Parts: sequence; structure tokens; C-alpha cells
Amino acid sequence: MQHSGRQAAGERPSLTQIADVFTRYANFTLGGGSATTAVIHGEIVDKRRWVSEEQFALSFALGRLTPGTNLLAFCVGIGWILRRWAGAIVALLAASVPCTLFVMVITVLFAEWQENPFAQAAIKGAIAAAVAVTVKTVWTIAHPYFRPGNRIRVVLIGTAAFALHASAGISPIDVLLLAALIGFFLPEPS
Amino acid sequence: MNIVLLYLLLLKGTVTAFAGLASLPVIQESLVNHYHVLTNEQLNEAVVITRSSPGPVGLYIVSVGYFVAGLPGAVAGWLAMITPALLIIPLVHFVGRRMEHPRVRSVLQTVVIASAGLLLAAAIPLGRDGLTGPVTIVIAAVCFLLLLTTKIDTLWMMLTAALVSLTASAFGLMAYL
Repeated sequence: MQHSGRQAAGERPSLTQIADVFTRYANFTLGGGSATTAVIHGEIVDKRRWVSEEQFALSFALGRLTPGTNLLAFCVGIGWILRRWAGAIVALLAASVPCTLFVMVITVLFAEWQENPFAQAAIKGAIAAAVAVTVKTVWTIAHPYFRPGNRIRVVLIGTAAFALHASAGISPIDVLLLAALIGFFLPEPS
Repeated sequence: MNIVLLYLLLLKGTVTAFAGLASLPVIQESLVNHYHVLTNEQLNEAVVITRSSPGPVGLYIVSVGYFVAGLPGAVAGWLAMITPALLIIPLVHFVGRRMEHPRVRSVLQTVVIASAGLLLAAAIPLGRDGLTGPVTIVIAAVCFLLLLTTKIDTLWMMLTAALVSLTASAFGLMAYL
């Protein structure tokens, strides 16, 4: 691991300890993943000294660039740095099983509640809020790139993707592949 | 629907998305528009469910799986959610050294921006199904303004929206939801 900086000073944790930390801190992300990552940082860098600051940063940055749920990729990265494959798998299970069970219970209850007219009214209100959240997420995704010198590029690519899918009916995967090609041949002006 | 096919379709969504809800357009395209095993309403509900639970947003895929095929579908959703996370292992191993290459950075950037545009396109049918009367339209507009101007947690926002809607229906405004 010569590219990930010096090793942390603490002892290498057992799989049980990895499972314990990720079960406790990776399943509650109210307020967004960044808050969760901050809590995990406090636990594994500052308090337990399992990984160095550089190793943490490497896993965090690459987690953001890995497809799917960034937080899970981040946990796998840390698990892998700590105990290779066994650590990665344990971290992934610990960070995903409890919250998945929770969502399954809510989903099942949700189907039951749909029969009740008052519950339906409440659900309609929550869904209206969810539409707003979805639209806001568009900005959350795009804004890290919306910086001086790059704004026209962000607007053009975002609008083109929107129009190709919404108006021209091109499938999302094809739009993303096209975007990747454009990114490869037309790098960001530096 | 065959569970393996469902897993692959959900995986197609998660593996091409770089943020929680960014996989939504791909899921919508395949399960709602192409295979007709899910409705836009259920997709909306899946988003509501994850937003009202403490886990990451990407968990909505578990609810989607449940709506399509019950408990086995939920397991397929969980697998589709966790599979892409393993891709970080080769990344941590090799790509860590090439991060400064302009083309690598540029490709990741254009893909992320395009996925934002796609998400906006996906919000249109979600809005059409979810915003059916003055009450829900006002709720969505107020929530959007609050999201832009404050740091209110989305869980509280959804709970309040549910309460407002519930109150409106208790006052006999069911037809305006």
C-alpha cells in the first residue's frame, strides 16, 4: 500500500471490531452521508487509530467516485485497507444489513397502511415532499462541479442529458455512455 | 419477474449511478416503462420510505425490489445495492495513482453532470403522479424552497408534509390533495 501513505499507529483491528464499528456508525445517515463519514472518521482515525489520515482520505475520495452508494464503497475501502477481503466483506455486511432490514420492515408496513384513507392522505403529503427532494438532489449532484470557468460546461452537459432523455427518449445508459465519451475527448478546461 | 433478471436490472441502475438517487432514471426506464412491473407511484413510495428511514438513500432499491417481487425481490435489491461497492477495491489498489490524469477526472465529471440532468428528467413523471391537487403542489413548492434555503433534515420535512396532508384531509379537503 505504498500509495496510501504511512500506516496508522494503532493495532490492526479484529473482524469483530470492524463489524462493531460499521454496524454502529454506518447505518444511520440522517442529515446526509457526510455527517456519517465524519463520525466514522472520529472513531477509526482519531480514537482507535486504525487507519491514517491519508488512508482515510484515499478511501473517502475513491468512494465518491465508485458507482452506487458512496458510503458503502467507502466502508469497503476502509475494510479492505484494514484486513483485505475479509475486512471488506465484513464492513460491507455490517454497513448494509441493519439498515436494509429496517427499510424492509417499513416497506411491508407501508403496503398495509395504503388501505387506510388517513394513512393515504399522509403518504400523499410525504410523496409531494419526496418530489421536491428528488429535484433538489439534481443540484446536490451537480453543484461540486459548478465552479467558475466550468459553469457553461455543467449547464450544457446537464441540459443535453435532460433533453436527450426527456425529449428525444434516449435511454439513460446511452446518455451516460455518451457523456463519458464527451468527457474523454473534451477534458475540462484547466 | 425472474429474480436474477430483477437483480441484473437493479444492478444496471446502481452500477451506472454515482449518487443515491441518480440510479432512479435507469430503474424507471427498465422496470416502469419497459417491463411494467413497477409504477411511478411505487417508485415515489420507495423514495419516501428510504427518506423516512435512517439508512443511505440508495436503500430505495430494496423497496423497489420488494414492490416488484416481495421478499426475494428485496434481497435482490440489497445485493444490487452492495455489489458496486466492491468496485472500490481495485480502485483503491490501482486507480489511486492515476487520479490526477485530466481525462480520468473529466470522464467522471461529465458522467456525474449527465446523471444530474437525467434525474431532473425522471422527476417529471414522478411529479405528475405525486402532485395531483393544490395541497400537494403547495407542499412540494414549500419543501423545495426550504431545501434550497435551510438545512432542515429531509426526515422532518417528510413527516411535516405528511402531517399537513393528513390535517387537510381531516378538514374534508381530501379532494384537493
